[in-house]
Amino acid sequence: MNILRLLQQVDRRVLYVMLLLAVTLPFFVKFRVPVAVSPPTQALYDAIDSLPENSFVLFGPNYSAGTRGENGAQSEALLRHLMIMWHKKKVRFGMLAFDPQGKTLAQTIALGLQEEYNKQGYNIKEGESWVNFGYRVDQQNFVRALVKDVPGTLLVDVHDRSVATLPVMQGVHTAKDVAMILDVNPTAAYTIYIQFMQGPFKIPMGLAPTAVMAPEAFNYLDSGQIVGMLQGLQGAVEYEQLLNTFGRATRASNSLGVAHLLLISFIIMGNIAMLLERSKQRKAGGAE
Amino acid sequence: MPVKAVVGPNIGMILLGLVLSLVALGILMLVPQRFRRGIVRAATLIGGLYAALEFFLPTQPMPTPDDPKAIGNFLSPSVVPFGNYVNAVFGWTVGLGVINLCQVHGKRLMKGGAGSFNSVVFFLSMIMMTVIGILQKAHPNPLNKNLYDVLFVGGLVSLDATMFSIVAFYIVSAAYRAFRIRSVEATLLLATAIIVMLGQIAIGQLLTRWIPMTSAFHSLHIELIRSWILTIPNSAVTRAIAFGLGIGGLAVALRIWLGLERGSYFDA
Repeated sequence: MNILRLLQQVDRRVLYVMLLLAVTLPFFVKFRVPVAVSPPTQALYDAIDSLPENSFVLFGPNYSAGTRGENGAQSEALLRHLMIMWHKKKVRFGMLAFDPQGKTLAQTIALGLQEEYNKQGYNIKEGESWVNFGYRVDQQNFVRALVKDVPGTLLVDVHDRSVATLPVMQGVHTAKDVAMILDVNPTAAYTIYIQFMQGPFKIPMGLAPTAVMAPEAFNYLDSGQIVGMLQGLQGAVEYEQLLNTFGRATRASNSLGVAHLLLISFIIMGNIAMLLERSKQRKAGGAE
Repeated sequence: MPVKAVVGPNIGMILLGLVLSLVALGILMLVPQRFRRGIVRAATLIGGLYAALEFFLPTQPMPTPDDPKAIGNFLSPSVVPFGNYVNAVFGWTVGLGVINLCQVHGKRLMKGGAGSFNSVVFFLSMIMMTVIGILQKAHPNPLNKNLYDVLFVGGLVSLDATMFSIVAFYIVSAAYRAFRIRSVEATLLLATAIIVMLGQIAIGQLLTRWIPMTSAFHSLHIELIRSWILTIPNSAVTRAIAFGLGIGGLAVALRIWLGLERGSYFDA
């Protein structure tokens, strides 16, 4: 078979095996390639870092396992910073999920980080430093009610404890008592927070969408409705670099890079072969 | 401060709500079709009207013990009960979906043949997840919690991740086969895609890292070009699309709210 035609028609199973290797092999190599921190990531870092003493952050792990590769890493990076902020300024956070898997995935991350940081003497406690409100349905109506009465709408946390009596909720009654909203969301549902909570109450909001959804969010960044953003896994890698930590995002970033390069190589290879074959055919046609 | 444990949901109230809802649903089913349609339309109109009026009507100071600076209108105090009511309706719609799924898979199971195995898996998964889910909530002992973790984290979460990761393989295959520069537009798209992808990854950023940030050519850093593409041309286009979507969404919402929508929504 003509080599140019072969390059255009590589069997899909070959592509699959190469992708599998490109994604898995880099996990066995532990090295960090420094990245340039993008302005949206830097802005989000600065916004969280300048939160006032003893403030409360509403954290939305609104993702499922399908996008855990990106959103899980983003959640970990942001929760790391929030736990550091608890140590520095007693900043508290509450996790509220509108995806049934989000509450479980975020709880696992939070408990893991709590254990990690408590070994360093951070004294982080669930119920005092942070709380998981669990999963709720119908985000739009729920948020509309939440802004008027936070404990009255949430009622209980994932352990069925009354939210109103938890130490972490001291002084948190309405949306005005929330210092920041952080939404980890692979869909466009973050606009509900913008519409009913961020906008009316002028609460700074940070966003962590998947890379494929990030381009849509630039408008909100431009308008100031979002103070900062983590763009997919790369955003989390940048954030970990700012936190000077080697977390799950940095571990996965090499896989992401090699997979991207593989994809670009395939596209370029296919196109070069197509152009060369066309030129060859044209020449052959001209000779006839 | 001591943490007070909640006794649990009020089972009596839940049962009462369930019975009342079933009675209301039964009455609705007994009502002739032409009147039923009117009732559904009226409920939709009132629900939508409440949300719209509460949002748009002028507000005034309405202090509460928790929030002395609160503002609102005469509809504002009902926002929380209204939200709870909508949650209950939402719960019923989920139930409707379950009934529908059971009907479809039940019929397929009765017929047998191709695809009936999938229906068996559906029923088994649904029953197991429901039973274990309720058990771990009602009796949160280690056995029930572990069983729930096996099903939810070990099963559902893993399957969800697996299904989504398969997309990556299709993307590679499709990009390789379909991304051909057959026109100027396709060439532009390809060049843009490659710049954005390279600017997105650390290895790609290495390509232009040798350009000093103090030089006149520093804006040729691939991550800066990517950033420009995303913040300027991309933002302009997505903003235009967002406006179009917004207007379209408003039109659809108005049609549903005013009962002008036809099809299964009102004519069932």
